[in-house]
Amino acid sequence: ILHWQPNQGTVVNSQVLNEISQCVETLNGVKEGRCKASLTFYRPNLRDQSVTIDFPRDFLGISMLELPNKYFFIIRGQKIVLEADSSILLIMEKLQSYKSKVALNFEGVLYKLGDFQIRVIKVVPNQAESLRGIMVEIEYLPISSIEKSKQIMEEFIDIWKEIVAKKSLAGQFMHAEPNYAEYGLGDNYTSQHTAVQYAAALAQLIQSAQVRN
Amino acid sequence: MFCYLLQHVEALEILLQGLCGVQRERLRIHEICLKSGPHLGTVASEVRLLCDLEQSEPSWSVRHVGGAMRGAGAEQVSVLVRSMVESKTSKNALRLFYALGYKFDHELLRVGFSFNFYRGAQITVTVASINKMLKLHATDEAVPVTLGIQMVEVIAPATSENYTEVATAMSSFCEYLAPLLHLSKPGVSTGVVPTAAAAAAALMSDGGGTTL
Repeated sequence: ILHWQPNQGTVVNSQVLNEISQCVETLNGVKEGRCKASLTFYRPNLRDQSVTIDFPRDFLGISMLELPNKYFFIIRGQKIVLEADSSILLIMEKLQSYKSKVALNFEGVLYKLGDFQIRVIKVVPNQAESLRGIMVEIEYLPISSIEKSKQIMEEFIDIWKEIVAKKSLAGQFMHAEPNYAEYGLGDNYTSQHTAVQYAAALAQLIQSAQVRN
Repeated sequence: MFCYLLQHVEALEILLQGLCGVQRERLRIHEICLKSGPHLGTVASEVRLLCDLEQSEPSWSVRHVGGAMRGAGAEQVSVLVRSMVESKTSKNALRLFYALGYKFDHELLRVGFSFNFYRGAQITVTVASINKMLKLHATDEAVPVTLGIQMVEVIAPATSENYTEVATAMSSFCEYLAPLLHLSKPGVSTGVVPTAAAAAAALMSDGGGTTL
């Protein structure tokens, strides 16, 4: 996943999003459909508000439209990722120990480029239209080993960055691969890896927004 | 529906094999009960983590069991009705709940067998010994909570619309077990079936050919 870092003093807007989508079309990307993921921050329901520090501040839940029966939980600070059936949400509701606080959506358009799949994703708050960020998710379909696909992915990312640079947009794509091993994940790419990447991309987005403000 | 069984486990297995028409499944489930720590939640909450140790790769699930249904409706039904939600999870469930502020309360290991079949409702009968661990999470060193006693449990999923039909199906099925044992709602004592020894002997001697 590459997340869009706007230049200092600029903000992301729909024009940038359009230009980025055009870059995919320049590469002969074929639109295949839409995709969506919802990210929800959870906060503890506490009887005594002074003890918030004892509870994780980065407890995140992720659902993916392509996996309707699954739900993912992540606590970034402790490098925990959990994949569960979507019934886990009903369990959390019954426990009443955590409440959902902020929700963001990753709404994307899916493109196919030969053996690659690209999602151009806009980050929008739930039930609002304002664009908070842009991400591009690149997948090399033939190989599910992260190690084995590393070189071809990096080559593609270089090509992608060159094409975007030609548009002279006020920003650039940043790429920071999370350390999957810290989460107990292996070399074979799974939806848990995607969940970890989404959480990391979101954290970077929030951090760069805070720095700019 | 459940009861405690001291003897005739083998005979019960033969009887169940004949009644259910399915193969028995071995059961080895590590159940860890967690309770919310102080301050967490407006009310205290409890969650159970289950690890199926019978599989080659242990598989985890998280379960929430609600309180028993109460009131006139509950009294009319011969079985205990309560809500239960279960979710399969990847292996980090315990770490996640600890990180969320849940604390270890107790754990146990159920070892035995189960039959899962359809007879008016999707029924699961489990016969298992309940074992405690002498060291935290040491499932290899588990000992029975009460030596020699197995617990027989009959459960079936239901919705709020059909639970009376499901309860009837369960009660009907349990009547077939009457030669060996009486099952009841938890909290209602049942006593021993006086003819159980004879019934068990009959079952054991011709391996299930006996009609009881």
